[in-house]
Amino acid sequence: MTRMTYGSDAIIEPHHTRGDVFLTCDVVVVGSGAGGSTVAATLAEAGHDVVVLEEGGHYRTEDYTANIPEMLGSIMRDGGATVTLGRSPVPYLEAKCVGGTTVVNGGMCWRTPEKILDEWAERGLTDLSAKALDPHFTEVEETINARHQDPGSEGAGNDRFYAGATALGWKLSKNRRNQKHCVGSNDCVTGCPSGAKQSTLYSWLPRFFAAGGRVHTHMRVEKVLLRGGKAVGVRGTLLDPYRTRKFVVRAKAVVIACGAVQTPLLLQRNKLGRESGHVGDHFTIHPNVKVAALFDEPVDLLRGAHQAWQCTEFIDEGILLAPGAIPLGFMSAVFPTFGARLAEKLRRDHRYIATGGVLVDDYAEGHIRTLPFGIPLVRYDVTDVDQQKFVKAAAKLAELYFAAGAREVYTAFHHHGVLRGPDDIRRMYDHPPRVEDTEYFTAHLMGTCRMSARKGEGVVDPTGQMWDVPGVYLADASVMPGTIGVNPQVTIMALARLIAERISDRLGQRGEARVVGRSAA
Amino acid sequence: MMLQNFTLKGRRRRAARALIAAMVPRWPDFERELTDEVLDAIETLMRQMPLHNQIAISGILLALEYGSGPATLDGVRPLSSLDLDAAVERLERIGDHPIAPVRMMPMLLGTLISFSAYSRRDVEDFLELPRRRWRADRRRLRERLVTIDAGRPTPRTPTPLGGDPLVTPDDYLQFDDERAQAAATNAAG
Repeated sequence: MTRMTYGSDAIIEPHHTRGDVFLTCDVVVVGSGAGGSTVAATLAEAGHDVVVLEEGGHYRTEDYTANIPEMLGSIMRDGGATVTLGRSPVPYLEAKCVGGTTVVNGGMCWRTPEKILDEWAERGLTDLSAKALDPHFTEVEETINARHQDPGSEGAGNDRFYAGATALGWKLSKNRRNQKHCVGSNDCVTGCPSGAKQSTLYSWLPRFFAAGGRVHTHMRVEKVLLRGGKAVGVRGTLLDPYRTRKFVVRAKAVVIACGAVQTPLLLQRNKLGRESGHVGDHFTIHPNVKVAALFDEPVDLLRGAHQAWQCTEFIDEGILLAPGAIPLGFMSAVFPTFGARLAEKLRRDHRYIATGGVLVDDYAEGHIRTLPFGIPLVRYDVTDVDQQKFVKAAAKLAELYFAAGAREVYTAFHHHGVLRGPDDIRRMYDHPPRVEDTEYFTAHLMGTCRMSARKGEGVVDPTGQMWDVPGVYLADASVMPGTIGVNPQVTIMALARLIAERISDRLGQRGEARVVGRSAA
Repeated sequence: MMLQNFTLKGRRRRAARALIAAMVPRWPDFERELTDEVLDAIETLMRQMPLHNQIAISGILLALEYGSGPATLDGVRPLSSLDLDAAVERLERIGDHPIAPVRMMPMLLGTLISFSAYSRRDVEDFLELPRRRWRADRRRLRERLVTIDAGRPTPRTPTPLGGDPLVTPDDYLQFDDERAQAAATNAAG
């Protein structure tokens, strides 16, 4: 079993303390996901005293069970019931636990495409050029073990996808995933059961702990403390199940890294960044729709990796095709039926079904607002322009699966649920499904507090500091200046490192950097 | 804010029970009745949801209870007063309703019900899907691979680590006993 290499006092849970909690440090980081853990480790290794506050609990590999509702209730925000509102509701993935969404993602590792970085540089964000970010990307990839799969661990779902793309002569990219010996458990979404996925729990946080950092769990930050307009700490509620407790953390700098949904909500509740006029805006979600295929030979999604390939043939059109193996519990939601009919379908076919999806580089922008009583409103409307891409993307993935020998292909479009061949694909083009008739999903939320080179165009400056509030830094997917068209965790981590270096420069070095260790496994 | 002692009561509970009874898996040779256990699991999950989600789901349940009949021109009888076949038929018609938000109501809850029902051990066993055994087997394999790695340098990314010498690409995704059996067969042959 993989164990984290840190002392028992590195993660502090409610039962480790009594009464209200008062802390002082150089930097307080709110959130322990891709951004928060990376910032924390980088700053701690530079010699700063860093405290991370995480709203969720700490779950180890051995805590990830095969029971999906149990896992949704423990490691996901709102029990997994997180949905954007709009023309068609889009469920989205957002974890609430130490490690954040890196615990529940599929583990794909892509650098930000150069054309995106060039666009950002043209907007004046020269620190985000490919050359400037290269060392950060390299450090991130080494830390999280962004590797190709162990040979043989891919599984038949990935093999079918590969065969279809190859038969059509389409371009394929071999995925790098943050894993050490992913052994094909295919249970990424509820926490890797083998410990192979190198979420921040097994990558950045062990580095952070080795440099003396600590994480406090069950800390819900409610207020950013200001003095003279500058941030001096945070306060909030310690979610102790037995009694109401408060905490206050005093710090020279506050880093908010709660993700693209929670970060703008926290700022809005604190009325911070309002002058910028951009908090909660420019919300992009890189949505996807599922596609499944029925084969004559067993696929056995039980055995294999979640996603070993991506088809990049249509990447210039903003379309990615990918396999995406999922356990039976999630597969059951792919089919728009239920009860005895679904039961019979799955009994007969579950071994013969491959699942995948298409991702579209979205043109639309949604927004996030805080309603009275603190209720979040996450609004996103898929546009008709994006929908055209979805129809083409799903048609192309269906074509790929048919080329691989599929007998039937299942889509997320209400009136085109089952495709049985090229004629059905043509019919889908002739009668394109509406946005309202499509089921979407996403795990790639970005851009709600975007970085800008000029005040008035975004929420944070190129160092990650809020234009309007000195001492408050943002370091998560919310600062992305736009959608990136690929899985975002490596981009988030690279930006977080860049921001951490700027914070460190501003705070000043504190002597020698502490000894840095890396996790053993 | 969330109500951690949240329970579905009265008409909402009857509606939830009718919905779950219609949506849980049923096979002629599978004897277990899952409705109440899935209802418990959904209720437990709902306790982790914020108050506005709990209210929204309660609203959907009431809408399905009283609105599903009129919406499908199936009379005004509440969903929970129908027998199982009639409830299934009504929900299927709702699932094919021309108005998307109406159509999505049972499907959103159906997703939670499916997650709960199809990740149960007894259902997986019935489908001969040994997921829990696979997870345990994989964990053991990975521990052995990591142990082997400890004695050799780690290649730089993105080089894969590989399973050598413990497993070959051909038998990487086999259960331990399958691999052992194949090895024994080869040795005998």
